[in-house]
Amino acid sequence: MKMKKIVTMALAGVMALSVFSGAAMGAETWPEKTINFACTHGAGGDTDYMARLLARKLEEKVGQSVVVNNVTGSNGAICMTEYKDGDTDGYTFVLTNSAALTGNEATGLSDFGWDAFEPVAIYGKQSGENILVPADAPYNTLEELIQASKDAPGEINFGISTGGGVYIASVIMAHAAGAEFNVIDAGDAAERLTSLLGGHVDATIAPYSSAKEYIESGDLKTLCTLLEESPDLLQDIPTANTTGCEELVMNTLYVCLAPKGTDAAIVEAANAAIKDIVDNDTEWKEEVNSFCFQEPFCLTVEETKTELENQRTLFMSYAEYLQ
Amino acid sequence: MIAEGFASVMLDPFVILLIAIGVVVGIIFGSIPGLTATMAVVMFLPVTYTMTSTQGISMLVALYIGGISGGLISAILLNIPGTPSSVATCFDGRPMAEKGEAGKALGTGVIFSFIGTVLGVLILIVISPVLASVALKFGPFEYCALAIFSLSLVITLTGKDMVKGLISAVLGALLATVGLAPIDSKPRFTFGIVNLTAGFKLLVLLIGLFAITEVVKYAEGVRKPENFTIEGNVKIKGVGFSLKEFIRGIPNAIRSTLIGVGIGILPGIGGGVSCMISYTVAKNTSKHPEKFGTGIMDGVIASETANNATIGGAMIPLLSLGIPGDAVTAMLLGGLMVHNVSPGPLIFQKSGSVVYGVFFSMLIAAVFMCVFMLLGMRGFIRVLNIPKNYLLPIIVVLCCVGAIGDSNRLFDVWGVLIFGIMGYALIKAKIPLSPMILGFILGPTFESNVRKVSQLISRDSVFSHPIFCVFILVTAVVVVISLRSNKREREALSKEKQ
Repeated sequence: MKMKKIVTMALAGVMALSVFSGAAMGAETWPEKTINFACTHGAGGDTDYMARLLARKLEEKVGQSVVVNNVTGSNGAICMTEYKDGDTDGYTFVLTNSAALTGNEATGLSDFGWDAFEPVAIYGKQSGENILVPADAPYNTLEELIQASKDAPGEINFGISTGGGVYIASVIMAHAAGAEFNVIDAGDAAERLTSLLGGHVDATIAPYSSAKEYIESGDLKTLCTLLEESPDLLQDIPTANTTGCEELVMNTLYVCLAPKGTDAAIVEAANAAIKDIVDNDTEWKEEVNSFCFQEPFCLTVEETKTELENQRTLFMSYAEYLQ
Repeated sequence: MIAEGFASVMLDPFVILLIAIGVVVGIIFGSIPGLTATMAVVMFLPVTYTMTSTQGISMLVALYIGGISGGLISAILLNIPGTPSSVATCFDGRPMAEKGEAGKALGTGVIFSFIGTVLGVLILIVISPVLASVALKFGPFEYCALAIFSLSLVITLTGKDMVKGLISAVLGALLATVGLAPIDSKPRFTFGIVNLTAGFKLLVLLIGLFAITEVVKYAEGVRKPENFTIEGNVKIKGVGFSLKEFIRGIPNAIRSTLIGVGIGILPGIGGGVSCMISYTVAKNTSKHPEKFGTGIMDGVIASETANNATIGGAMIPLLSLGIPGDAVTAMLLGGLMVHNVSPGPLIFQKSGSVVYGVFFSMLIAAVFMCVFMLLGMRGFIRVLNIPKNYLLPIIVVLCCVGAIGDSNRLFDVWGVLIFGIMGYALIKAKIPLSPMILGFILGPTFESNVRKVSQLISRDSVFSHPIFCVFILVTAVVVVISLRSNKREREALSKEKQ
């Protein structure tokens, strides 16, 4: 009996040791095999583009192939549900954007937040959602637009897509700045732009990169960006939080996550590899400049957690109006 | 700029090679049930990120054109539409093949696919900005009316047994409600299963209804001896049909092109609907509507011209407004933006040479498609010589691969299986399956737009929307006419019986 106990103890000890040393070795030599990226959004979108750009650069840097799979649906909720308890060997990552990650929790589409994962890095900023109106509209700032809606309650049709980040923005404007729009669903970003151009709505929100052509052609004008700070290369676009609605901040950031329980050392190693690419690669800078109108941007693991928690606090404070 | 675009395509052998590869891969993806044009583009999109803009976009449009055209092969030979755009090709293509006219059906499909593509692209080149402004006029009211109009065609599509057709269409619309509701994103019929929140995919439903049922139907008669060689021994002269037959088909082709382009321009409807609308319009305006469905060229012409013309149509809002009309153009949009070509009103000024390059690529791709398909025709027909007990299991496997490939979920394979069983039960009940596809596509279009209208109606009257009123009037007229012709058909049938 005693003998058996000792053997068991010894075996357990050996196992624990092997797990420990295995993990330690894993971090030192990471990566030793193909890395899998699960992207929460489909090919053709910005989240996918950034994920694939990172995959290509990471492949060059670490010398292992990086394969991107698009697991799409429900604004990323399906992919995140599937992978939050995914393989923790350090070769599986989820690539998404912060608005989907925290937005889905606030709207009730997911029942978990960023802390269901091990965040690896925030590795870029989007060109930013802009509040857009026709170029001949009488208002030139967000403040004037909100004032106009108060003067004629329910007369200004504001196009949104329910459930997404754009919806959260409209709720914040109504509750924090007292805007009285007739909020109507106008579909995804492309459909919202069509509705605005066709005169079916009077104002809407869309990413700058989608609306750029119409702003330059003089069909539309942007009142402000929802980013906390104006995009690095578009400094003349004011931010919403300084021009009419202080609470309205929506930073869409590109995030890399690992399944919960992935070894912290590997997470750090991955963060270091990504950070080195973002901070030092010239091609990365060129791509990000022309695609996102931003300078390269990368946070450490701790900074990533803080940033995600800040977004979550903001979104969750409006959760009661969203669900 | 035109010369520059021309040179960038024609003088670069690599671009020509990419177009040829794109067309061949597209045809293969299109012809295999389960793999679609959309998937071909998804697979190759990341590859194009590192190419130049003209190279990348040329390859993608070649995949698109090849993929939409390839669908006719399996529709005619196996009665399984290779892509959603070929559903209506089965209606007359398969009966033609059964009559021993597989070669003629394929030839017709290929030639008129070519004509549809070229006419569609020419319309795109010539009057794209004008038509783009039409697309902008379509708001929630107009889409509502369009959906009602298209759904009313179910009556014609189903012919004598209208009730069963409507059952099928309603079932399709109901299946489409699974998942997140439009407008409020509330989950419906998801039973707490996270995979159901994304709803069912059109592709999954299509494979289940058409491919799996076809296999099960065959399995039913497996004990009866079958002569495999008869169907396959088809002699084809030239393209399979005469010049006289070709000339007779021209008015039909022109009408189908216009329908295809028209549907293509409107975002969110797509080739699956355009081929069916074109088919029903051809049937309604034909001097001999009763022959539709028995294997006549007109049916194949209507379907194949329209679905290929939809390509040109869908490119119109994509290029001049930056609005994608379907899944493929949504990815093309990504492909363009990655190369710093921003579709929109300024695209001709800012990236004119790329746009003209795309136009030339599309025309070259259409020619390649036509040549490759005509050359391959004799080979395709040999598929019928493969014993079905080898062929069909392979098709089932490919279908499941396709279902997984769509969004990388095993869940969708279960969907294929369940829809297959459901489809087989419906066939046994003599309920037609194609109205279900219409219901599935148009149900959500109708629902989301009718809900948008309800948000607008308090300060907007329907009478300020002329397009809406016209569509509703036309719908009423079409319904009355179809009901009367259905009644006549029924009466004629009962007289014959007596």
